Amino acid sequence: MQLRKIIKKGFADLFIIWSREIKYVYKDIGVVIFFIVVPLIYPIIYGFIYNPETIREVSLVVVEESHSSIAREFIRKINASPDVNVYVYAANMDEAKKIVDRKEAYGILQIPSEFSRKLHRGEQSEVILYLDMSGLLFYKAILLATTEASLQMGKEINVNAEDMPIQYEAISMYNTQNGFASFLVPGILMLVIQQTLLLGVGMLAATSREKNRGKLIPPGSTHEGASRIVFGKALAYFTIYIFVCIWALAVVPRIFNLIQIARPGNLLLFALPYLSACIFLTMAISTFVRGRETPMMIFVFTSLPLLFLSGISWPASAIPDFWRYFSYLFPSTFGIQGFVKLNSMGATLHNVAWEYRMLWLQAGIYFLVTSAIYMYNVHRDKGR
Amino acid sequence: MKYILQTASREIERLFKGKIYWFCIVIAPLFSVFFFISLMHEGLPTNLPVALVDLDNTSSSRNLARQLDAFEGSEIIAQYPDFEEARQSMQRGEIYGIFLIPNNFEQYAGSNKQPKLSFYTNNAYLIAGSLLFRDMKTVSTLSSGAVILQKGRAKGYTDAQIMAQVQPITIDARPIGNPWLNYSVYLNNIILPGILALLIMCVTVYSIGIEIKEKTTDTWLQAGNNSIMQAITGKLLPQTILFFIVGLIIYSVLYIFMQFPIHNVLPMIMALFLLILASQALGIFMIGCLPILRLGLSFSCIWGMIAFSISGFSFPANAMYSSVRILSNLFPLRHYFLIYIDQALNGRELIYSWSQYIYLLSFLILPFLVFQHLKWSLKFTSYKP
Repeated sequence: MQLRKIIKKGFADLFIIWSREIKYVYKDIGVVIFFIVVPLIYPIIYGFIYNPETIREVSLVVVEESHSSIAREFIRKINASPDVNVYVYAANMDEAKKIVDRKEAYGILQIPSEFSRKLHRGEQSEVILYLDMSGLLFYKAILLATTEASLQMGKEINVNAEDMPIQYEAISMYNTQNGFASFLVPGILMLVIQQTLLLGVGMLAATSREKNRGKLIPPGSTHEGASRIVFGKALAYFTIYIFVCIWALAVVPRIFNLIQIARPGNLLLFALPYLSACIFLTMAISTFVRGRETPMMIFVFTSLPLLFLSGISWPASAIPDFWRYFSYLFPSTFGIQGFVKLNSMGATLHNVAWEYRMLWLQAGIYFLVTSAIYMYNVHRDKGR
Repeated sequence: MKYILQTASREIERLFKGKIYWFCIVIAPLFSVFFFISLMHEGLPTNLPVALVDLDNTSSSRNLARQLDAFEGSEIIAQYPDFEEARQSMQRGEIYGIFLIPNNFEQYAGSNKQPKLSFYTNNAYLIAGSLLFRDMKTVSTLSSGAVILQKGRAKGYTDAQIMAQVQPITIDARPIGNPWLNYSVYLNNIILPGILALLIMCVTVYSIGIEIKEKTTDTWLQAGNNSIMQAITGKLLPQTILFFIVGLIIYSVLYIFMQFPIHNVLPMIMALFLLILASQALGIFMIGCLPILRLGLSFSCIWGMIAFSISGFSFPANAMYSSVRILSNLFPLRHYFLIYIDQALNGRELIYSWSQYIYLLSFLILPFLVFQHLKWSLKFTSYKP
């Protein structure tokens, strides 16, 4: 009978804590910003910035010293590429350099005076390509378009020349147009979930501390057990973030026509451990936060290192061991990897078993850590 | 001047006492330097995992695979009997590329039947995908060349004659400033100052907002002789100096320890200094517009984070929508990036960058727009949690 009562009260308290926590969220504009406004608008901003996906018509200056029809034909071929636009002919290298200095173009193609003479003599003829390295995409666009044009020209010059004895075809998978948004935005979407939780949950815990004269747990019999506090709060964040997840992981990719070949059911199943791991990690961290503004000061800049640790831009295989093990501490590492595989590469849940298990493991460990901290605080408060 | 110094010494005391300042001014920037420099110490990712599907399995095909493996960028970590298994491995994320050698490769290559190699790269990981593409393409071109040379020599042609037949036009590509295509150079030169700018905005907003929260604005204004100009200047001056020192430490790691290219040192130091001032000015503007600590801070966090994308150092601003490109002018990091390209990477004359310096300077107008509002807020706003 006694036990039944305790259990009954425990659950009743849990739901009181749950509904109260949700109310705290809505009453606190600071938390609303991070739980609702940022997850709502951030993906849109990033989608908008990266949505053009690739760069087209990169300007190129040409210094044509050979004054030949064959050189003009070569230039025409380069210009035909959608990636490059022959911006202007410069009289000499000095003038060309000035144009690049003014950032009106990102490369100089120098066609030397003996260019056509060498070709007519049946010799190999060299052109020089100076590439501005302020953006790797400029470099790639110009180099690829010029190489392509030179190969085409080669075939036309030597009609009876042999083709390459070994041919190749290059197939880019999953992000077929090599788009920037398709590559980076999925990672950002996942990271936003963890980082906004970190800020919001930290803020809520610190606010409660400030209200209760530095104590983590408010007075009252509702808070007499650690598990009801931990579950009650976690459930509240879960309730809100289910909607955030649906928005960020399913709606936003659709708005920006990002690749999305995952089954919605799989995404949801994967979001479950990710969200749990994020919530318990942020709850554990939040117990150490004192001022309600400190989370913003401490956690915001970590988004960059965390994005790089996820292995989406800097390849995971090139991350030094020390940092790789360090990255295992954060749900974002596995969350981003798993999400990219499911969403962009059409992996099954079976394919992301490693990430899936690691996220559950993290959820479990961080749940235990959080519970231990709350238990310790409950007992200490009782002692007083 | 006396009051500015008075406020400054009050601020120095506050800075030393606040753990959060230590964290944001010293620990966070230095951690970031250590993190990013050590993460990308290779410059270019090496030994990216590739799977081999060798349907030919002859000495030529094995030789070809060995050549690819010998490249610094690629490493064959697995061999699969068919494409489907390799594809699954790619889906699990174990490899970034598949190198497929077709049936009869050796026989066809020797008999003018032009076998076709296939490279599959996983471009959901754009950097890894494009690096592997480059390596696989080079291997196939080299092996073509070898076959051609062999045949041509047998017919008695010189190598030069043969190459002129195969590839009449060659390109001598000269990447300026960063000939190694080093990613650490490409990313860290902007990421690290960007993190500094983000932290500066946060610290500026925090150090002003916290006075409102802790109801210490009266003593602060008194120290500044009740002049908002002097109070703000005195408060932020010690922070400016500290951030400038930290910035110079970052510079010495980038340009002395790592020896990243830097042509014009003084203009870059000037750019760093102006980036710091512009970020502080933006911070004053933010807390001036939204004199509630958490709102002002949210504003600066969001601004500071978007700066990384919108400044265009990874995805170029030219490729963005024109509206986004215009907005990018409101981010100090954008102007810092443009100065960096001119002065550090390319060593251009100052005349090409002066407008960017003016942009950075013009951020200093922002505080004057909010001084009156800020002063009013300091006097009459009370902190509501």
